[in-house]
Amino acid sequence: FPGVVQSRIPPEQSDILGVESQHGTAADALTKAFLKNSLPHMKDEDVEEMMLRKAVVLEYKRPMKKKGKTRKAKGLNAKERRQLKIFQLKPEHQKYDLFLPLHELWKQYIVDLCNGLKPGSNPQMIQQKLLKADFHGAVLTVVRSKCPSYVGLTGILVQELKHVFKIITKEDKLKVIPKRNSVFSVEIGDFVTHIYGSKFELRSSERSAKKFKIKGTIDL
Amino acid sequence: MSPELEKCPRSLLVCEKSNFLNEKSRHDIHVSKHNFNYKISVLIPDCEALPANISSAFHSFSSYYLVRELPVYQLLEETFIESHVKKGNFYALSYNTKIDEENTIALLSSGQLILSLDKDTYEQLGLEGRPSLYNHKKAMRFVVTLDLTDKSLTPGTKRYQRVLSSLKDRLPLRYDFLLTKYNTGSDEDQTLIKLLSQYSYEEHKPAFSHHTLKNIPCPTLYPSDIQGKTLSCDPHHFLEWLGAVNLDISCENAADSFLSTYVCPEPQSSVSQALLCTVTGFISPENVFVLLQELRQYIDEPKFTPWISLTVHGFMDSPVSWGATEHGFLKGGENLYNFVCFKNQDYWLHMATGAQDGCPP
Repeated sequence: FPGVVQSRIPPEQSDILGVESQHGTAADALTKAFLKNSLPHMKDEDVEEMMLRKAVVLEYKRPMKKKGKTRKAKGLNAKERRQLKIFQLKPEHQKYDLFLPLHELWKQYIVDLCNGLKPGSNPQMIQQKLLKADFHGAVLTVVRSKCPSYVGLTGILVQELKHVFKIITKEDKLKVIPKRNSVFSVEIGDFVTHIYGSKFELRSSERSAKKFKIKGTIDL
Repeated sequence: MSPELEKCPRSLLVCEKSNFLNEKSRHDIHVSKHNFNYKISVLIPDCEALPANISSAFHSFSSYYLVRELPVYQLLEETFIESHVKKGNFYALSYNTKIDEENTIALLSSGQLILSLDKDTYEQLGLEGRPSLYNHKKAMRFVVTLDLTDKSLTPGTKRYQRVLSSLKDRLPLRYDFLLTKYNTGSDEDQTLIKLLSQYSYEEHKPAFSHHTLKNIPCPTLYPSDIQGKTLSCDPHHFLEWLGAVNLDISCENAADSFLSTYVCPEPQSSVSQALLCTVTGFISPENVFVLLQELRQYIDEPKFTPWISLTVHGFMDSPVSWGATEHGFLKGGENLYNFVCFKNQDYWLHMATGAQDGCPP
């Protein structure tokens, strides 16, 4: 192939370097062995294929993706969340009818959770399951409250935050009811369950892991 | 005052003296404000027989009705408000409900409906009220006041709907009620009876009795000295003696009697006979006023009688005493007033209340 692989070192440089270039066949053998070592272990045809001219477009090189450390998605702060207003329902979304399908879904979910609600099922068992259930989409009614103006409010639960329930009433009003000092009732088929709001002041995600103590009677 | 004495429940006695003819005299206001009267007793010393005009006054007292299991929302019905509450002179009180244990309902002649509720009922009913003034550390009792004559509670408004639905659907309260109406015309009775005929009710006339006491000592009272400092006796002693006479307790204070050590307060004079009349029932203040007029007329006539005493007792379990002042039952729920009428239209008025009561006006 073309190109110069070896040539004799000019005599001046050989004095500087302190090496003597080998002559003749020894040099050839050395060169061949060196080249063989350097080349990848492939057949000659493959080597030829590799050397086929491949055009390299210099200017429009694709930038290499910098991998960097994969940071875990931290999530947004409450401040950022409030700014983004993801939890605010826009007025056009505040229609009771829009949430009725959600209620249907929730009913299905609860029936599945309690293995089908038969009139003869054990209330205790259902109670245990309900403690860990999610109530988004349930129809809540305030039955007792230390503040009398909350009593009687009924609606579909839209959002459960740590200390409040956000429900939408039949008049398309979004009401925010604090959980503390109130008793809510949820109707499931033939069962009615009462939730003491003061004991429920947990995020719904944390509630599934909490163990509830048994108390005799709870006064508001 | 020593700290032990301070812990005792207090009782109040307010004494007023004035003349009936004085235009600033507030005797009519006091009488009309005391809404619920249970018992009236009249003591006339030096009187042989029951005078005719007083007897007719007693018999003209309007009758009262005892309704069983009347739902409270009935008192809010439109027709009811129009025909009875707005015209005034209508009184209703829940019967046989203890003020410190159960819920008590009262309807005053001014159109205010007062519900004195325990904690559970208040939390379930959903009507705004305020905690009672006589709560101890934890609020156990709440008072809801609804002014039925107010604009915000006219039938049709949202507030009226909410109140009606609370009392009808959410927590239907039913109690026995005592109702009375001082009617000037007889046709208004018919509407009331028509309303009541849906429930079981009985009509009662106030029970009247009288008897003559012989040879009893009576204190001599001088109209000018009400406090008992110089001439007459102390009002406490006088009222005590009056109560003893009413209950037929002997005031001899004989040395060998251990039952009673009540004495007639000095200065006293013995009287050969005295007349004692009592009326019990659910009596409206207008009737009391009529009786008072008759007594004033009686004492104006020339007689030996030095003074006449008229005592009116209120209900122990009523949620209010005078006007809308809250009333409670601690050790006794007394709220009474006593007129002592003298010649030339002078009078004394003693108003006494128990521990859980506001000061009488």
